[in-house]
Amino acid sequence: MSDDGQREFAVSAAGLTKTFTLEWTRKRLLALDGLELRVRRGEVFGLLGPNGSGKSTTMKMLLGLIKPSAGTVSVFGAAAGSLAARRRLGFLPENPYFPGFLSGREVLNYYGKLVNLHGQRLRARVDELLELVSLTAAADRALKTYSKGMLQRIGLAQALLHDPDLLLLDEPTAGVDPVGSRQMRDLILALRARGKTVIFSSHLLEQVQEVADRVLILHRGKKVREGTLEELLSVRGQSQLTVSGLTPELQTRLSAWLRGEGAELLAAAPPQQKLEDYFIKAVGQ
Amino acid sequence: MGNSLRHIRVIAANTFTEAIRQKVLYVLVVFCLLMLGGSSFISQMDFKGDDFKFMKDLAYAGISLVGLLVALLGAALLIPAEVEKRTIYTLLSKPVRKFEFIAGKYLGLVALLTLFVTLMAGIFFIALWGHENALTARELAAGGGRLTEVQTQLVGEYRASAYDPAMIQALALIWAKLCLVTVICVLFSTVASSTVFIVSCTLFVYLIGHLQMIAREYFLGGEVAQWWWKIFLAAVALLIPDFQTFNLSDEIIAGNTVRWVDTAPILAYAGVYALVTLTVSALVFEGREL
Ligand SMILES: Nc1ncnc2c1ncn2[C@@H]1O[C@H](COP(=O)(O)OP(=O)(O)OP(=O)(O)O)[C@@H](O)[C@H]1O
Ligand SMILES: [Mg+2]
Repeated sequence: MSDDGQREFAVSAAGLTKTFTLEWTRKRLLALDGLELRVRRGEVFGLLGPNGSGKSTTMKMLLGLIKPSAGTVSVFGAAAGSLAARRRLGFLPENPYFPGFLSGREVLNYYGKLVNLHGQRLRARVDELLELVSLTAAADRALKTYSKGMLQRIGLAQALLHDPDLLLLDEPTAGVDPVGSRQMRDLILALRARGKTVIFSSHLLEQVQEVADRVLILHRGKKVREGTLEELLSVRGQSQLTVSGLTPELQTRLSAWLRGEGAELLAAAPPQQKLEDYFIKAVGQ
Repeated sequence: MGNSLRHIRVIAANTFTEAIRQKVLYVLVVFCLLMLGGSSFISQMDFKGDDFKFMKDLAYAGISLVGLLVALLGAALLIPAEVEKRTIYTLLSKPVRKFEFIAGKYLGLVALLTLFVTLMAGIFFIALWGHENALTARELAAGGGRLTEVQTQLVGEYRASAYDPAMIQALALIWAKLCLVTVICVLFSTVASSTVFIVSCTLFVYLIGHLQMIAREYFLGGEVAQWWWKIFLAAVALLIPDFQTFNLSDEIIAGNTVRWVDTAPILAYAGVYALVTLTVSALVFEGREL
């Protein structure tokens, strides 16, 4: 029974708690406090929260890089950090943690061998991913010459090497240009279409809104909200219309008519183009 | 199992590449200068046939020192850097076990030391060959192109002393000693993150290791009364490797007969010690919060 329950979830955590003991002072710091987390398979899940709220700590515990002080966490039913769990996930760390002396291609080859790819399959996969993250031209330069966004792209490529079922992306668009973050969004949606599960953290709420099925908001290590975007965001009892050819006079009449029908016009303004769309048109992509 | 071995090999190759790209091979320039300086110095002096012993002493000291530098800095810089720069996060998000990481790092450093010892041995043999040629040429010149009986014998002695096959054993001993220092450094690198601290601890063990035999004798002899001394001596005798044993190479350099049956047990001792220490390092690292 509980096994069936496990099977439905890509990630499930119960009472997940982490306290760090600080060096020297031996002070204790509660980074995560009794988190309940269940992410269904095939879901795109956003982890939100202010700086220091415990997002990266949660991810590290999903990876088994740090051990929970209390509570349990499993990935596809296997203990977090076990080989079985790690075989099925890809991780993009929040800062570019890659060996700078290797070139982009070399680093993908290196990590590729560690996820048990080799020979022709590895070479083809590396080329494909370099293309996907638009780094083919810079592939043979050392990573220490890469810009932050380029490192982020290489980070994404290495997370995808073995085509994992679960992707953990810690601030995937930090430092990435608008074209790149749009590619990231499209990629996340494409992964979802293929039944992959994606858990990501971000501060760019607009982007989260565009891709996440569900979000969880952390504050000081505690969950403060969780739900689908619809549940959390729709303003009950209000609707938005987009009209063309609305003259001021027509608007007055419409407003009066609505009032007569017991409704009320709350706002009328030309819909704004999003800066992101505008930027992307401007740089011609 | 097959995967583990492959992972270890991949990580070892990566460690080796990293060291090479950090341009560690420049250290060899120091060694070349040392050998050049040494050869030209003895050419000025008359060592009365002890020329080659002098060169061997110099080279041995040089290889030990450069090797020690490479071993200490290699382990104490590269391992903490992976943790400090968090590259280990990316690595361990892959299906890679922590012991594969430790074994890979160690074997990469062993490969590096092997390259260094081989290259330095090469430079050293070239220096020996050069000096032997110079001495033979001098005898020839003195004899006007022909060698007297005495001279022929002298040249033969030069050759025997320059091309002593036992030097291979001496090099194997240095190599084993350096691998042992490296594994101790790896052990400290799995618990600490400060390079200075790791290097200091390793050097401390290295120095104590030269006194190990004395500690063992005192402990077994039961001549010390205070219990804390007993514990200390027991710890030194049991835990710290006996570095003095590698000084069998002094005999080789002095020209005394040392056979492989004398050297082999020392190499085996180093191998077993390294394996045990590496296992302990892996266990310690397994439990460490990153
Ligand atoms: N190794 C550590 N030792 C001590 N404290 C830590 C450690 N790692 C994280 N913390 C603390 O745990 C808390 C949560 O940190 P975490 O990195 O998870 O935040 P975050 O939500 O990812 O923040 P950001 O948005 O800035 O990335 C913070 O107060 C942080 O200082
Ligand atoms: Mg973070």
